Amino acid sequence: MNTDTEQLILRLTREVPVVRRHVVARRIALGMVCGAVITAVLVVTVLGVRPDLHSAVHGFSFWMKWTYTISLGAIAVAATARLARPTGLSLRPLWPLAVPALLLTGLGIGELVRTPARQWLAMWLGHSWKVCPWLVLTLALPIFIGLLWSFRALAPARLRAAGATAGLAAGAWAATIYCLHCPEVSALFVLTWYSLGILLAALMGALLGPKLLRW
Amino acid sequence: MQASEQQLQAWMTGGLDGDAASHAALLHALVPLLRAFFGRRLPGAHADVDDLIQETLLAVHEKRATYDRGRPFTAWLYAVARYRLIDHCRRRRASVSAEGLDEILAMEGFEEMTSAHMDVERLLAGLSPKQAQAIRDTHLTGLSVAEAARNAALSESDIKVSVHRGLKALAARIRGGKRPS
Repeated sequence: MNTDTEQLILRLTREVPVVRRHVVARRIALGMVCGAVITAVLVVTVLGVRPDLHSAVHGFSFWMKWTYTISLGAIAVAATARLARPTGLSLRPLWPLAVPALLLTGLGIGELVRTPARQWLAMWLGHSWKVCPWLVLTLALPIFIGLLWSFRALAPARLRAAGATAGLAAGAWAATIYCLHCPEVSALFVLTWYSLGILLAALMGALLGPKLLRW
Repeated sequence: MQASEQQLQAWMTGGLDGDAASHAALLHALVPLLRAFFGRRLPGAHADVDDLIQETLLAVHEKRATYDRGRPFTAWLYAVARYRLIDHCRRRRASVSAEGLDEILAMEGFEEMTSAHMDVERLLAGLSPKQAQAIRDTHLTGLSVAEAARNAALSESDIKVSVHRGLKALAARIRGGKRPS
């Protein structure tokens, strides 16, 4: 062994701090929660909570939206945690995303069946289709930045994939918080415009991942 | 002599628990493994191999929190080494055939070595202790017949006969497909 390597090992073993268990999960959770607090403050102060939130939480559509965004968020976080380790090379953990997407599609088809065809367009576009995806993308930024901080201690081997799942997670949780503001009720609306915002966040992550997640 | 997966994992876990001696033992043991790993993939590039060994040791140290206790350590190690190799080549704008982790693990032969070792021990367990020891000494440990004889306090011809009969018995077992339990 050459002397440089010997020196390096000496330097690295001078101080060996204890590493706690589940430190990857903790680090990801901390980054996300810090970002989510900022997103929540933005929703409450800039956009405002929907005035009928009190009664909306007793309705179907509010929980339909939350079930969709929270399940996407949970799956994306689990995939992000896998890709945060160098051994995480598979994208298979993303397959479960199909379940909430298909369930919501089923609800959307039910809506189409129940609604006269001339109202389809109004139902699909709602009142906020033009801003919804962009708001979700913007609100995803603080959570995504929190995750970038998390990743500084982690070791992803597939940078684009890790960036994309981090963006997806940030988008899905941003959408969850955005539900506190957004009064839209249609499954088709959520399936299209929420998903589009979340996908834009994932796309942003996929573009930035190779640059920002290197180690 | 390469450290076993179990030994490396024990050192890694010790280091995670804050034991500097375990951590130092681990890093020292990784040097020959990494030299073989990078040397095979960058033949002739000695300076690059040395750089990569050091970069990987540094990464093993800095990113050790991403090792999941209880999972195979070598899989994690070669995943880190693989990333460092890809990153190295990306910086040089050289192309590298980045095999998947499964292929790397098979090639580095850890699993095979371990399971081959286990098979041999299982076979030897079916022989008499004298024959098994003679084969172990002369064929696995690499002692000469004279050294093995001295260790076992037997004559050299005794060792030779034990080895011969033992190997014959093993061959018969393997051919017959009957594995000693």
